[in-house]
Amino acid sequence: MSTRCAAALNAALAEALERWDETLLLGEDLADPYGGAFRITRGLSTRFPDRVLSSPISEAALFGVSAGLALRGRRPVLEIMFGDFITLGLDQVINHIAKFREMYDEQVRVPLVVRTPMGGRRGYGPTHSQCLEKLLVGIPGLTVVAGSEYHDLHRLLLAAIASDDPVFFIENKLLYSRFQQRGRDGRLGPFLWEEGDSTYPTVQLRAADRCSVSVVTWGGMAHLARQAAEQLAIEHETMIEVLILSRLAPVDLTPLLASVRRTGALVVAEEGTLTGGVGAEIVARVQHEAFSSLRGPARRVAARDAVIPAARHLEDAVLPQVEDITDACLAAAAGTEH
Amino acid sequence: MPRLYVERDDANSESATLVAWLVPDGQTVAPHQPVAVVETSKATVDLLAPASGVLRHGVQEGAEIDFGATLGWVLAPGESLPTAKEAGRATADDAPAPVEDLQPTRAAARLLEQAGIDPAAIGSHGFITERDVRAYLDRQRARTAPLRALEGIDLEGLSLPDGLTDADRGRLDPSFVSRLRADGEGFRHLPSEEKIAAYREQGAAIADGVQLGPGSLLIAPRLIIGRNSRIGPETFADCAEQLAIGSLSHFGPRLELRARRAVFGDNIHAGRGITIGGGGHRDPWAVFVAGDLTFFGDEVFINVCRPVLIGREVFLTMRSIVVTHNIGHSPLEGFENRFAPVVVEDRAQVGMGCTLYAGVRLGREAIVGSNSYVLTSVPAGKLALGVPARVVTEARRTISPARQREVARTLVAELAEWLEARGERVERRADGAGFRVEREGAAYEVLYAETRDGLPQADPASEKVFVLLEGCEDPPPEGLLLELIPRRARGEATTFGHSVREYFRKRGIRFEPGPWRYTGGWI
Repeated sequence: MSTRCAAALNAALAEALERWDETLLLGEDLADPYGGAFRITRGLSTRFPDRVLSSPISEAALFGVSAGLALRGRRPVLEIMFGDFITLGLDQVINHIAKFREMYDEQVRVPLVVRTPMGGRRGYGPTHSQCLEKLLVGIPGLTVVAGSEYHDLHRLLLAAIASDDPVFFIENKLLYSRFQQRGRDGRLGPFLWEEGDSTYPTVQLRAADRCSVSVVTWGGMAHLARQAAEQLAIEHETMIEVLILSRLAPVDLTPLLASVRRTGALVVAEEGTLTGGVGAEIVARVQHEAFSSLRGPARRVAARDAVIPAARHLEDAVLPQVEDITDACLAAAAGTEH
Repeated sequence: MPRLYVERDDANSESATLVAWLVPDGQTVAPHQPVAVVETSKATVDLLAPASGVLRHGVQEGAEIDFGATLGWVLAPGESLPTAKEAGRATADDAPAPVEDLQPTRAAARLLEQAGIDPAAIGSHGFITERDVRAYLDRQRARTAPLRALEGIDLEGLSLPDGLTDADRGRLDPSFVSRLRADGEGFRHLPSEEKIAAYREQGAAIADGVQLGPGSLLIAPRLIIGRNSRIGPETFADCAEQLAIGSLSHFGPRLELRARRAVFGDNIHAGRGITIGGGGHRDPWAVFVAGDLTFFGDEVFINVCRPVLIGREVFLTMRSIVVTHNIGHSPLEGFENRFAPVVVEDRAQVGMGCTLYAGVRLGREAIVGSNSYVLTSVPAGKLALGVPARVVTEARRTISPARQREVARTLVAELAEWLEARGERVERRADGAGFRVEREGAAYEVLYAETRDGLPQADPASEKVFVLLEGCEDPPPEGLLLELIPRRARGEATTFGHSVREYFRKRGIRFEPGPWRYTGGWI
């Protein structure tokens, strides 16, 4: 029986609650029968009534309470119903949670996980559809994880909860109903599949032994990148490697650099807006490390710098689509200027 | 038949959960009767029967159901459950859509369809590209090409080497082949290991222990050489498609080989100054094949513009000539103008200085006497002689069991004499069942008997070779066993054992299993 991503996350939370008494789940509407807006905590308040707590609607209070619990040795897992609402707690994240360990000379740790769904394509409009990971990447002391259906989400979330330092765990909301896509014997469907053995591994899907473009992506874009890889292979016989990161900060680009050295071309695909995106950072680092391997300029696929409309056709026009990835790959494969 | 499904009722969910069936499987329901409870992220709703009939459950309680997917049916009288395929969406509620491991690209799919090929013939995983399909078709063509060239030739009586149908291995980078053709001078003077390393790097399938003599150059788009084969100095081979040589084959100096395809089996022995090729070697039919254990004497000349097929254990001795076409005047003026294959079946022997003319076939175990000119085929088992060659008698005599026993004993006795003549201290057994040799403090024995039961007691300290006239079921636990009539070798052979085997080989008794080559020792 295959596992949907929502079930994998639910099982990870249950395991954390079972294994570590200090684990607490906090968030809006977590308790049964609702089990959270996306049903990720379903059943858990029934099994662990003292440790799965629905909170009032105040993200600022949630961040503050969670930080305090973490400082006092608990292991809170906070659910922010929509990633767009993290802004209400970011002062505490940036100026306190991320800094306590160093400011207090390692006398305290903040083992806090903030789980939050991000991403659009559901018609939720400007304030319930954003990918805001770029606000979090680059805050020293903060680990940012953004898994996909290609990662073992159970293992990934459990690792985040086990960490003694604050972790943002971003869940693209389209993941929830998707099935986990795990390779076996080095294969996933028609792709060559490889997963690093680190805690937050990069998954590689390669359409062939020799590919002409490396696409790096994460979260909800992994699904689109895989579709792009299939289309490029089937329609154009352009073979690409898709590298799916699971940790954006601190980011380990070793597998990506190896891939770029093989293919000579780089495309970064993210769902967040283009300007100041995480992709810009990745491009900068890759060109520094592997400039001579690149046949042409790295290309970026991202959302237009616009507010996300609620109307689906307009939302589609703002968010990056499969064709944006295929176009970028075809241009990168040809090695031409824009 | 009316089916049950969940409509999307909110924007937050992609699926619903079947909380409970309210009506058991197989019960009759009325229209609008609540039959199930489903839960989405926003609400729990009752699912109503769309019509009257018998309710059939499609999924279990607790299952996730995509919106629109079937979770059950209401059957009217006389209706039956849909087949598994029709019910696919209902049963697949908790499994992802299967992903094909093997996906032809659009261009590849078009080619596959045109050629009527199943993608599974090409691979088991991954994307199949147009190039993959073309390479596959090329391989198929290459595989059948020699056979097409051999069309119309009766292959009965011929044990041809596997290399003939091996169409995949040893493909060299075409630009490397072109470079060798354009200028192989520098390359051919490299040491053997460097040449072999370069061939391998460019894609050739060359096994371990292969030697390629000084000044030797092999040019072929596909090059395959089996283990421990040796190609002598100043060899030049240029094949338009393939050159394959089996294991433990040996070619003397100055081989000149030109053909479209040349395929040699295992344990070939070819002397010096052999020429294979001549006119028409680029013809589509220029296929040269030689089976295992075949012997080519010095200065053999073989013209290949039509297939030359030589079977297993054939002897083509010194200065023999094989031609597949003649040269002359116009056939419209009544002159003969002949292009035809030459076939030499297994175990046939061609004496020194013979000519086999285009179209000739030598049957199995046929023999052609020296200096004969063979214009017509020789049937299996016959001895032919003369210019032109005519059948004169049988190629071999019938031999009585008594005579076989006498020959075998003589062979063993002669082996003892041979060793003695070479200065070994030989001690013959009083019972006539072999002999013993001592050398540098070690003892060696050759023990002979007609059958297994007749074998004498061996010295436990000696290194032993058992020679039996007949085959046996239970070989002695140690030493080498040589069975003369079945021509079979079993057990561990040491240098002494190999030397005895070589003695018998020189007398025409070639033991199985092969390939085997004597590497020196006592004889």
